[in-house]
Amino acid sequence: MSRRVTELEQRVGELEDEIAELRRHHLRLAELADVVQELLIPMAGRDETRIAEAIEKFQKSL
Amino acid sequence: MESSAARRWATIRGRIDGLVRGTRVTSVDEAGIEVIASGEDRVVDVLFDDRRIWSFWLRRDTHLLPNGHRRAPWPDRMRRFLDGRTHLVVREHVAEKVHFDEELVLGTGEGRIAFVNKRGLEISLDKSGRFSPTFSVRSEEQLVPLLDAMDVVIEMLHDLGIEAFPAYGTLLGAVREGTFLGHDSDADLGYVSSYATPAEMIRESFELQRQVTERGFATHRYSGGAFRIDVAEADGSVRGLDLFGGFFDAGRLYLLGEVGVPFEHAWLYPLGSCTLMGREFPAPAHPDRLLEAMYGPNWRVPDPAYKFETPQPVIDRFNAWFRGTTVWRRDWEREFALTGGRRLRAGASGLARRLAEESAPGTHVLDVGAGRARDALWLARRGFPTTAYDYVPRGARGAMRVATADGLPLESRALNLTEWRSMLAETARLTRTEGPRVILARHLLDATNQVGRDAFLRFARVALRGGGTLYADVWTGEGEPGFGLRPFDPDRLAELVELHGGSVLSRERLAPGDKRSRGLGRVVARWS
Repeated sequence: MSRRVTELEQRVGELEDEIAELRRHHLRLAELADVVQELLIPMAGRDETRIAEAIEKFQKSL
Repeated sequence: MESSAARRWATIRGRIDGLVRGTRVTSVDEAGIEVIASGEDRVVDVLFDDRRIWSFWLRRDTHLLPNGHRRAPWPDRMRRFLDGRTHLVVREHVAEKVHFDEELVLGTGEGRIAFVNKRGLEISLDKSGRFSPTFSVRSEEQLVPLLDAMDVVIEMLHDLGIEAFPAYGTLLGAVREGTFLGHDSDADLGYVSSYATPAEMIRESFELQRQVTERGFATHRYSGGAFRIDVAEADGSVRGLDLFGGFFDAGRLYLLGEVGVPFEHAWLYPLGSCTLMGREFPAPAHPDRLLEAMYGPNWRVPDPAYKFETPQPVIDRFNAWFRGTTVWRRDWEREFALTGGRRLRAGASGLARRLAEESAPGTHVLDVGAGRARDALWLARRGFPTTAYDYVPRGARGAMRVATADGLPLESRALNLTEWRSMLAETARLTRTEGPRVILARHLLDATNQVGRDAFLRFARVALRGGGTLYADVWTGEGEPGFGLRPFDPDRLAELVELHGGSVLSRERLAPGDKRSRGLGRVVARWS
């Protein structure tokens, strides 16, 4: 019985770690989406002035 | 609601009156305040010359002495002020019963004990245990700019489709007392996003920060869901206005940084109103529901020493969803607040000297994790155009003063390796400039975490593409530890370099000795 409890406790710990790992993706996904929208899309336009402006504006708000 | 609140208040007061009788202060000295505490745990205020400076809980914030009395030690941050005469009063926060009221001397000082900051403003300890000019010492006129700023930000958010309202201490003060809480030192706003996932809410918060920045306010991000807006007040002091984001997920409200409870949308929206210093602000439809979620069922009882007891599952969620982009930054902010403006020692590290010997004149040096920028200044003086990067750029302010006065090619830029947006934007900016580059990374990889190390190597890979060299030192764990350093294996660093497409030119271990207080691992690498 106690071995079973130990095993289950270990499993719960592992599941908690896995959930935390998944949750951490939210922040990084948001960062990437923000970079794509604010920097990558202006860069695709290849307008040098607009690209420089986009980078400056983006960095100013960090 | 008013009368039921008043009734409840009268009951609480009556109960406390009954309890305070056996409580008294037995002595006040350099060690702290000694008390005999009777009855339930509750808050007492400590006044110096009639001004509340500190509050503590009779049991929670005291320890038992061998004589059965309890001692509340002076908070560390308070000790440096405790030298001189004062009229000290210890009294119940709620019941106004006085336990101590005497003129006394602490330390050897002759003058009156004065709690003032460098700007001469009166300060006291706020609920976070920090000294700041709290609202109780600010005049109504001085607070008008903060009320104005709340208006501006609420209005701006409204234009952006977001309905914000005073939150936390600011909501509590408005609803319970119609004004700011005397012991509070900032103003909080909250809003609940129409998005239902942290990722979308975070992106919305990023966008909000851009909008606020564009309107001329300085901002400071705490996490993916909250940032501070700095507001200059009439007397020149800068006060933070914190904007906390929230979202609903399946009947649960999550509001940074403390709330995660079952909640109904109708308790928040459509917004009602509250009054703060005679001015009307939006408020949740049922502010009592939100205040209970924030401060528990006893939110009506004043407690200037309140500590949040946020359940661990809520903290875990907030940590994983929103936090991780300011790793150990507060420690460095504190360190550089003290030492960042100091005069720098002459000379440079062995690593910087080696870089200077091996680099062609005119090579652009990127000193990543420059700290006080001593090496960066030394390299700039030798004619290398140098960028001092750090996530606490104020550490370099002393070096920048010298560089500006002497006309040296040194610039200081913010770079936060644990925030991908910061690293990616700076990488994008760098790729648009030409010329040979080298990176100096002295005690960087041993002062950040795995996220920071991976981001740094991605940054280096792009910045050094086409023949640039990386010079890196890490602490091996031998000898004296330096501030903020964690041992890091140089072999692991070499592996990381190769994993990110670099070639290791040399690696060595330098043992601590006469000239070196700690063991170093040194890696020099190149990207083709």
